[in-house]
Amino acid sequence: MSNPDNRHRHLLLLLSVFVIATCGLIYELVAGTLASYLLGDSVTQFSTIIGVYLFSMGIGSWLSKYLDGNLLKWFIRIEILVGIVGGGSAPLLFVLFEYAASFRLVLYSLVSLTGILVGLEIPLLMRILENQLAFKDLVSRVFTFDYIGALLASLIFPLVLVPYLGLIRTSLFFGLMNVAVAWFLLHQFPETKPYRRSLVTAILLSSFLLIGGFVYAEQIMTYTENLTFQDKVIYSKSTSYQRIVLTANNRELRLFLNGNLQFSSADEYRYHEALVHPALQALPKASRVLVLGGGDGLAVREILKYPHIQSITLVDLDPGMTDLFRRNEVLLKLNNRSLLSPKVQIINTDAYNFVRQDTARYDLIVIDFPDPSNYSIGKLYSTSFYQELNRLIQPGGLAVVQSTSPYIARQSFWCIRNTIAATGFQTIPYHAYVPSFGEWGFILLLRNHHWRGEGPLPKGLRFVNARTIHDMLNFPPDMAEVPTEINKLNNQVLVHYFEDDWTPYAH
Amino acid sequence: MLAGSAGLSACQPSSLQHIKGGMIGANHAVGHLLRNPEKLPPPTQTLKTEVLIVGGGVAGLSARRWLWQQGMRDVLLVELADRPGGNAVSGQNAVSAYPWGAHYLPIPDLRNRELLDFLTESQVITGFDAGGLPVYNDYYLCHDPEERLFINGHWQEGLVPEVGISADDKQQIVRFFKLVDELKQAKGRDGRDAFAIPLEGSSTDDRFRQWDAVSFETYLNELQFTSPYLRWFLEYGCKDDYGTTLANTSAWAGLHYFAARKGVAANAEANAVLTWPEGNAFLINQLEEQAKSPIQSNRLIFSVEETDLGVRILSYDVAQKTTIAIQARKVLLATPQFITKNLIKNRVIAGFEYAPWLVANLTVNGLPQSRGMPLCWDNVIYGSPSVGYVTATHQHLKATDRKVITVYWPLVQEPPDVARRKAYQTPYEDWVSVLVADLERAHPGVSDYITTIDCWVWGHGMIAPTPGFIWGEARQKAATAIHNKLYFAHSDLSGISIFEEAFYQGIRAAKEILGQKSSA
Repeated sequence: MSNPDNRHRHLLLLLSVFVIATCGLIYELVAGTLASYLLGDSVTQFSTIIGVYLFSMGIGSWLSKYLDGNLLKWFIRIEILVGIVGGGSAPLLFVLFEYAASFRLVLYSLVSLTGILVGLEIPLLMRILENQLAFKDLVSRVFTFDYIGALLASLIFPLVLVPYLGLIRTSLFFGLMNVAVAWFLLHQFPETKPYRRSLVTAILLSSFLLIGGFVYAEQIMTYTENLTFQDKVIYSKSTSYQRIVLTANNRELRLFLNGNLQFSSADEYRYHEALVHPALQALPKASRVLVLGGGDGLAVREILKYPHIQSITLVDLDPGMTDLFRRNEVLLKLNNRSLLSPKVQIINTDAYNFVRQDTARYDLIVIDFPDPSNYSIGKLYSTSFYQELNRLIQPGGLAVVQSTSPYIARQSFWCIRNTIAATGFQTIPYHAYVPSFGEWGFILLLRNHHWRGEGPLPKGLRFVNARTIHDMLNFPPDMAEVPTEINKLNNQVLVHYFEDDWTPYAH
Repeated sequence: MLAGSAGLSACQPSSLQHIKGGMIGANHAVGHLLRNPEKLPPPTQTLKTEVLIVGGGVAGLSARRWLWQQGMRDVLLVELADRPGGNAVSGQNAVSAYPWGAHYLPIPDLRNRELLDFLTESQVITGFDAGGLPVYNDYYLCHDPEERLFINGHWQEGLVPEVGISADDKQQIVRFFKLVDELKQAKGRDGRDAFAIPLEGSSTDDRFRQWDAVSFETYLNELQFTSPYLRWFLEYGCKDDYGTTLANTSAWAGLHYFAARKGVAANAEANAVLTWPEGNAFLINQLEEQAKSPIQSNRLIFSVEETDLGVRILSYDVAQKTTIAIQARKVLLATPQFITKNLIKNRVIAGFEYAPWLVANLTVNGLPQSRGMPLCWDNVIYGSPSVGYVTATHQHLKATDRKVITVYWPLVQEPPDVARRKAYQTPYEDWVSVLVADLERAHPGVSDYITTIDCWVWGHGMIAPTPGFIWGEARQKAATAIHNKLYFAHSDLSGISIFEEAFYQGIRAAKEILGQKSSA
């Protein structure tokens, strides 16, 4: 290896400044994005992450004076460390988010550590170069490359890295860049020979780790559902029953329960109008309504549009859900503060046992359970369950059941219809198009009721009118009735149908 | 293996130290008072009753119910434990009720009128359809999914091995079930079914009864049923219903398990079963509630003597530590024969063997598993010494991660008396180790999810239908009333330990007491 002349040395070191500056800013951006992604409130997260990061860089710069002796060796060592800590930060934070008791402590510790290590870099480099350049040139060049690197990082991060590599791979890739700087310097400078062997081992090991992470990034991602959301997570909470995640973009809010989309604020009105109004327009004298499921208060919002409704009992298993929709300002706006209405009584218990024990009678029962994707939920769609409703519906009253998609889950939809019919109810199946869900199905349950779709509707509906109701009753051939078995507790055929129906769509 | 548990370390591995619980179950110390009855206090008063029933298991409670329904009011039942139930008792914690023994009832044969009537009165049958088929309460029929088997690293649906077995194994399994179908239909020269429940109604034809003389193992060898998967399944059946192995089960009894269940329903398949979180304690409650005659618990009967007027009995109140005399016209000993023989002087009873069992209830925060069928009601691990576990929370209508599972473990590796003695001496920590190790095979990492394990050793869990026992003389002799004063009822008098037989035996004895004719 030729002994590089001084010019060559400077260039190599300044190139290193450029790379490490890019890496340094990338780590900061990764941490900020990740924090607002996982914890919500991006202004606060970015602001505190940048603050902590810069302050930690200050600590690093201050600590740099205690490093003496072979400065190049120190620098190479620190590059390897920055590579591991900074590069590993994103995957580590993603995985720990689910498990760490205090995620913020982990987050800020990691950000501080990265900051301190990055803060050591520039002062060390300047000291390595101090006897080879005039001070004014040294300062000018180092900072020029530093800021160019920062500009590059800030441009490629949102435009290239996040969309194409994702946060985990971005962070790992730049970790590798830091390690590459270490390797490059180690081989370009002959004075590193005496300690090359041990550092090469460290470089190989850390590269191995980072490349491994890069290759298995997908698997790391499946450890955490958070990356499955396209949009920014603005709220997330694990209750004893489910994981509630709320995401937002400029256009809409989306609510996910255990990763399944519950509604999008852009078109939920279609779903909830279709769920409530075909039933209530036919019940001009109704006063008592029972809502099973639907802890978001959106069905209740529609029901409250009928002033003759005196009381609404909402039964939802999860107090975490109903509390969220009674407190969060954004969500209160969405459900029009429906759950705070004095007409509404919220009962947090499981719907099946409630229905078995309740002795009241209702003019309307709105059933908005999750789709029958497992055996526990399947019980809520059984003949036994619908038989219990018999007692609870006033003579002349109605019930309505959300019944999954008659287009995608055609067998499931008609199985629910046939199951209800088998318990002695007349049924009126109908469907509506909800863009974020697709074609969605509902079933009206009635007994001795001459249901018609031309009753009075409240003002201001955006989807349902008499014409819409009429159209919703028509099932084109690709959703038309199919014969099915009846779903009972001791056969649970619906869960099997549902699995069959959705398998082709499962990714 | 359990029986070898002496070789296990008595100290709990640290990974299991978070598990709470202990040994629960019958108070052996009280039972052992019987060995030295002379040490018990003399009676302080005398109580009179027309009929005294000793033993509050299914047989005793069925007799009590029958007597009450027939208008016999002067009946007293005494029970050794603190509540009636026998081996159908249950427990309860914050998560669920759970069984400590018997936990299900197959839907009965339409000809079993007495049992159908009881189920109707219990609202287990809610009505009959136009064709006369019973409509069962959907909440009590076992919910789907019902059974699964962990085999070759995979949970499959159903208990008959299917995953990863050879064509020859499959062919033998098909052949066996074809044979079973034929036997279900088969009738003897006397016109009776080859196999019936209650088994007293089975054909007397030698063609079938001769199989009682040989072991199920011999029978299978003769018919060249050699498939290890089939034989595992059949032995699982013997262990599950009788607590015995292929080698010490009568072939007749082994076939009875498969060929005698002929229930039908308007709203369930022929092989459907009824079950409750608390197991057959549900039926115990119903039996208890359908009669109002008094029950005294915590009573140890330690002397039974015939007198001119009837029978004089000494009953020791375990709680008060006092003794009373009971003068009864007739006494029904609804106790197992290993107890009965100690109560009556000079009674020679032989041939009654009992299988010892361990039953454990585990409270878990979840059940990690890899691939295959999700959690069912009955969950069996292929090749396990246990007969699997039943999910007590299966019939719940509400989904929760926390569950109670009941593990059933027949102690068949050694002769019953040896296994029984060992089981009584095995410390709690050793049971926990073997239970967890067995579960870990199908649920890696489950240890961390277990919060509680309670264990119950049933020293005499079930009567063992050993070769020659069902159609030998011992049962008949033990069931025969003495001088119209002493009567006997227990499932061990049928030779197989199932609810239907105990129910039948109780009613049979009650009818004898009333001078009625028996229906079987």
